[in-house]
Amino acid sequence: MSTWIAIAAVSLVTFALRAAFIVLADPQRFPHGFRQALKFVPPAVLAAIVALGLGVADGRVDLSAHNERLGAGLVAIVATMFLRSTIGAVAIGMAALWSLQWLARHTA
Amino acid sequence: MVPVLLGTIPFGFVAGVVSIASGLTPWQGLALSLFSFSGIAQLVTCQLIAARAPVAVVVAGAAVVSLRFLMYSAALAPHLAHLDRRWRALLAFLMTDQSFASTMKRYSEPGDVRHRHWHFLGSALTLYAFWQAAVIAGIVAGAQVPASWSLDFAVVLTFIALLVPVVRTRADLAAAVVAAAVALVTAGLPYRLALVVAAVAGIAVGLAIERAHGRARHR
Repeated sequence: MSTWIAIAAVSLVTFALRAAFIVLADPQRFPHGFRQALKFVPPAVLAAIVALGLGVADGRVDLSAHNERLGAGLVAIVATMFLRSTIGAVAIGMAALWSLQWLARHTA
Repeated sequence: MVPVLLGTIPFGFVAGVVSIASGLTPWQGLALSLFSFSGIAQLVTCQLIAARAPVAVVVAGAAVVSLRFLMYSAALAPHLAHLDRRWRALLAFLMTDQSFASTMKRYSEPGDVRHRHWHFLGSALTLYAFWQAAVIAGIVAGAQVPASWSLDFAVVLTFIALLVPVVRTRADLAAAVVAAAVALVTAGLPYRLALVVAAVAGIAVGLAIERAHGRARHR
């Protein structure tokens, strides 16, 4: 039940943010400082998500070489800087993760 | 429009797979996609639901990653002001990163602008149809993929693909590095609050660096 409430609330929030100025308010009253801050939302939020996704394993922060996700993610970051492709990032990152997992199983 | 559609398909597919991997039922995954129509919001919602975060934190997480829509909304509003409320609500609902970019480009071209909302509607509806089809394919496939394939890692990889191109200036890079570091330091906070705390810290540092840089240039 709480999952359905979350889905409804997330849908409402995403619509409200999209509609805020198109349907409701006057964008002239949009404060300049706030507009400047919004520019940094994508790099900050995405970097935080990526850091948590790569650096946390089994509920604990693990920045060691035993963390295969961290290694595979770093490979994917470098690859994306050159390729600029979502499909490329996913393909290379998954291949790197499976290789590192295979190596960990066979060298232990 | 075609490269945009092609780039959307794997992302939508992953969003569908992940909704199942996160423990949503197929109907919940579909409803989330149909009504929120935002890949990033869908993925963050799924991640937080999988982490058993309370509803308020799920919504806060989705809101933080969707703040960019505010910026798009402000930029598009003057172009759509002549339309009636229903039109504006419909176009707002369908607005995405991709349709915002292509619509702003269309409005910057010379000529009669009064009917360009039809271009917005057409491209946005096409994207909506392709996106939902990709998500449904992912939902169907997600039920078949074994957990040992670590497909949930594909989400992190799509976030990497989104992150790399938005880091353009030194201030962007500082915001990203600080947010990543703060996220790891605060990872132990309850309710997955690390995401919100890290985002605020990154935004603050990015702003501070840009302001300092701007002042140095004005002198």
